[in-house]
Amino acid sequence: MRIAFATLTTAGMAFAALAGLPLVSVAPNRLVSGEGVSGWAMLAQVRAGIHVSTIETTLPVLLLTALLALIGIGVFARQTRLLNLGVIAGTATLILALLGLCGAYAAQVALAQSPYARTSLGSAFWLVTLMAWLAVMDRLHAMQAPLWLRGLVWAGWLAGAWWLAASGSIDQLSLMKEYANHADTLGAAVARHLEIVVLTLVPTLCLGIPMGWVLHRWTRLQAALMPVLNTIQTIPSIALFGLLMVPLAWMAKSWPTLASWGVSGIGLAPAVVALTLYSLLPVVRATLAGLAQVPAGVLQAARGMGMGAARILWQAQLPLAAPVILAGVRTAALQTVGLAAVAALIGAGGLGAIMFDGLFSTAHDLVLLAVLPILGLALVCDAVFVLFTLLARRSLKGEPT
Amino acid sequence: MITFENVRKSYGQQCVVRDLNLHIQRGELVALIGASGSGKSTILKMINRLEPHDTGRILFDSHEINSFNPRELRLRMGYAIQSVGLFPHWTVTRNIATVPTLMGWSKTRIGERVHALLTMLDLEPEMYGPRYPHQLSGGQQQRVGVARALAGDPDVLLMDEPFGALDPVTRASLQQELKRIHQMSGKTIVLVTHDIDEALLLATRVVLIDHGQVVQVGTPLDLLSQPANDFVADFVGRSDMGIKLLSLQQVRAFMRDEPPLPQAAIAIATTLREAVSTMVQNRTQSLNVQDPAGQHLGVLHAADVFGASAAPHA
Amino acid sequence: MNNLARRLILCTTVAFLAGPVMAQSNGVVRVGSKIDTEGKLLGNMIALSLEANGIKVNNKTSLGNTKIMRSAITSGEIDIYPEYTGNGAFFFSEETNPDWKHAQAGFERVRALDLKHNRIVWLTPAPANNTWAIAVRKDVANANQLKTLDDMGKWISAGGQFKLAASAEFAERSDALPAFQSAYGFKLKPEQLLTLAGGDTAVTIRAAAEKTSGVNAAMAYGTDGPVAALGLVIMADTKGVQPIYAPAPIIRAEVLAKYPKIKEVLASVFQQLDSPTLQALNAKIQLEGQDAKKVAAEFLRSKNLIK
Repeated sequence: MRIAFATLTTAGMAFAALAGLPLVSVAPNRLVSGEGVSGWAMLAQVRAGIHVSTIETTLPVLLLTALLALIGIGVFARQTRLLNLGVIAGTATLILALLGLCGAYAAQVALAQSPYARTSLGSAFWLVTLMAWLAVMDRLHAMQAPLWLRGLVWAGWLAGAWWLAASGSIDQLSLMKEYANHADTLGAAVARHLEIVVLTLVPTLCLGIPMGWVLHRWTRLQAALMPVLNTIQTIPSIALFGLLMVPLAWMAKSWPTLASWGVSGIGLAPAVVALTLYSLLPVVRATLAGLAQVPAGVLQAARGMGMGAARILWQAQLPLAAPVILAGVRTAALQTVGLAAVAALIGAGGLGAIMFDGLFSTAHDLVLLAVLPILGLALVCDAVFVLFTLLARRSLKGEPT
Repeated sequence: MITFENVRKSYGQQCVVRDLNLHIQRGELVALIGASGSGKSTILKMINRLEPHDTGRILFDSHEINSFNPRELRLRMGYAIQSVGLFPHWTVTRNIATVPTLMGWSKTRIGERVHALLTMLDLEPEMYGPRYPHQLSGGQQQRVGVARALAGDPDVLLMDEPFGALDPVTRASLQQELKRIHQMSGKTIVLVTHDIDEALLLATRVVLIDHGQVVQVGTPLDLLSQPANDFVADFVGRSDMGIKLLSLQQVRAFMRDEPPLPQAAIAIATTLREAVSTMVQNRTQSLNVQDPAGQHLGVLHAADVFGASAAPHA
Repeated sequence: MNNLARRLILCTTVAFLAGPVMAQSNGVVRVGSKIDTEGKLLGNMIALSLEANGIKVNNKTSLGNTKIMRSAITSGEIDIYPEYTGNGAFFFSEETNPDWKHAQAGFERVRALDLKHNRIVWLTPAPANNTWAIAVRKDVANANQLKTLDDMGKWISAGGQFKLAASAEFAERSDALPAFQSAYGFKLKPEQLLTLAGGDTAVTIRAAAEKTSGVNAAMAYGTDGPVAALGLVIMADTKGVQPIYAPAPIIRAEVLAKYPKIKEVLASVFQQLDSPTLQALNAKIQLEGQDAKKVAAEFLRSKNLIK
């Protein structure tokens, strides 16, 4: 009998987390820390709740038991495709069920205590979610799941979470309460955050790739320029934003046309300039590496045939260097998604503004409300680049895209 | 066609080509042969200006090569290298079409040319045209490389050790291919190689280079029968010079007009070297000679080959 | 990259770059604010009031800290934002001037100085004082009958169990803790002080509320929302040690000249904002988690200042 050790380990750790750590924590208001409530205590209280029907209390228990059984089977049974899919579906549903349970408990708390009381998701919940994610990834890997299946699993889980949120059953969780209070600004913040990232990537590409080519062509410049780029990376972001404010403000004052284009000492301008500077290193390095791995024979033959330098660059070097350059741009993009949050401190807005709001008030669920979309953006960004890279490599190898 | 006049080239203090005087006539296949580092590749690259020469003149078609725009000069010269250098992200068709596209040919003309070249190099156009270089073997890639070099119908074909990286069987096959192409097209070919057998097989004239200087220029027969000095003799293979001489001679010259004997037969187009090898294999001193249709043409006797009896029947 | 991808990127870039350009058109008043709770509240009040009175507004609230805001308004990137009268002492480097300890005198002084040096006009201030204060846990205050800093000072000197959570700036600045100590006759031993990085009173108040590391008192601001809700009580500054920090909108002179009615509009708003009102509004934002703009709008509507 072959035991699926990965599933066993993750299930074991999840169980231990549920047993030993709080599933939620209840605080009298959003500013102070709460007291933890373990999973069993929660379950008992939900069952004893007088304001919910019998179905709503027994259903979670039944569901949880069924899911646990499924996962248990998943550990010991033979790993057929069907079983794997079942374990994946079961694990994903388990998380949603736990979320629903926490939501139901939060509703109880809201009725029983003051209206300011807040129920947050506790460490057990996050650990169980992490374990579940690991287990699902392991099963997908074991199945050698194609890209579309992975996408389907993600989409399915997100759809489930969306339905849970839309049905109102998790509305009383602290995170959802923060969302309710900030619903209008959140959308604008996400758009603004994306705007910062895109506005950074354009100059990064326009400057970084040519810079990489220049350094490739005139190698002596590398010794001069690469240390500069490396040094820029070591400057703490908020310091760089601050340093840029004065010269940009002066530029905006001296040339009003620049000001009308949006150049100023605060807001988008210093953020985009600083973020572009940070993104240059990965892109330049990737361009250098990409150009270096173009086979020498290709370049020699191209020259000997009578192709000009520009044509060789455009038709041979750049397409062959593209996958490596793309990897560098991916690094730069992900880095920017994260760093753009700090730009809120100089007025650039975006999700960082909401995050700092939460930090300054020590309202941790508000911080979470801002950070989860940032994580989501990073994951989407990464997925987009994985797709691009796949397409680029396929077109290089001549397979149909 | 191509003339070197007192050409000299140095890399810093080191002189790699000294006092080169050479004339390559139209339609010749000239083999530049020498040891590694003798400067033969450099000489080839000076023809299409991939390497500049320091002093002296190089003339192409009676004009100084420096008076040409380098790119236009190279468009008129086919260039094939050892590593082939096909564009990995382009199909075979597109690779071959590189120079004609640069020259602005019409799409139909390019299509026809690619089709003809693939056929000429024994690659079925429908099957190999859409393929990518990584889907071809080494030998097939070099065939495409040669096709690409010929695509623009150049005046000159420059080849820098094109078959050096291939296995012996593929190499032999491609050498025959090149010989055939040279005979059919009559193009001027300059071939750099370090393999003396290749040079003796393919070249109309051989130029032996040592440390940047020409040691001897002449037909393969000249180098074999009258080596200028010991270096040449050693290079062409002192120990089996006689055997190599045999490979330059045809059966036809030593055949006698006699009725067939109960022996094995060889084709009329065989070299003496192969004929002697067949004799040894069949443990006989005579072989029948036949034409491609199988018709008896004459008898070859070992005594005639080794010069024991009267003068051969020419 | 194929043509479609190239065109898409070009269009997106143009669209995004056009955004800030279009917003910079003339005739729009750019309203900023500091990044803290009260700044957002007051900034949005200003923006909403101006909009309700027919002035086009570019809401740039929650921009940065005091330094960023001052450089923004003096360089002309922001037209109006809410500032505190007491800060005039630092902008013009006259910390020792006693005028700052009196609401009206302080206001007049900063108004005169800023108009003269920077052509910035200080409009009618709110009757509130958002100055530094020390807040003590209610149970401790009740047990020892502590209502003023005087009571507290005497109690500490008599050996009362006291530990204060404060920022480094508060602990070191001559007009902050040292000034309190000298005025009220107490001196904190090193183990009675917990210094935190950053000036966020939310952190210090929370520390006192949860008795983290034995803390039972916190640095707070006069109009902080969560003080009462978290079970703390502010010790009254009977000797007036601290400068008065009354919130007031400050505006660039040219913009005021263009829209003179801004003065009355904002006066009618700010005059209603006394300390208890600000505390309640701040509490709504911090304690309940409501959006600052919504709280500002609700308040203005309740006072019939906007529709």
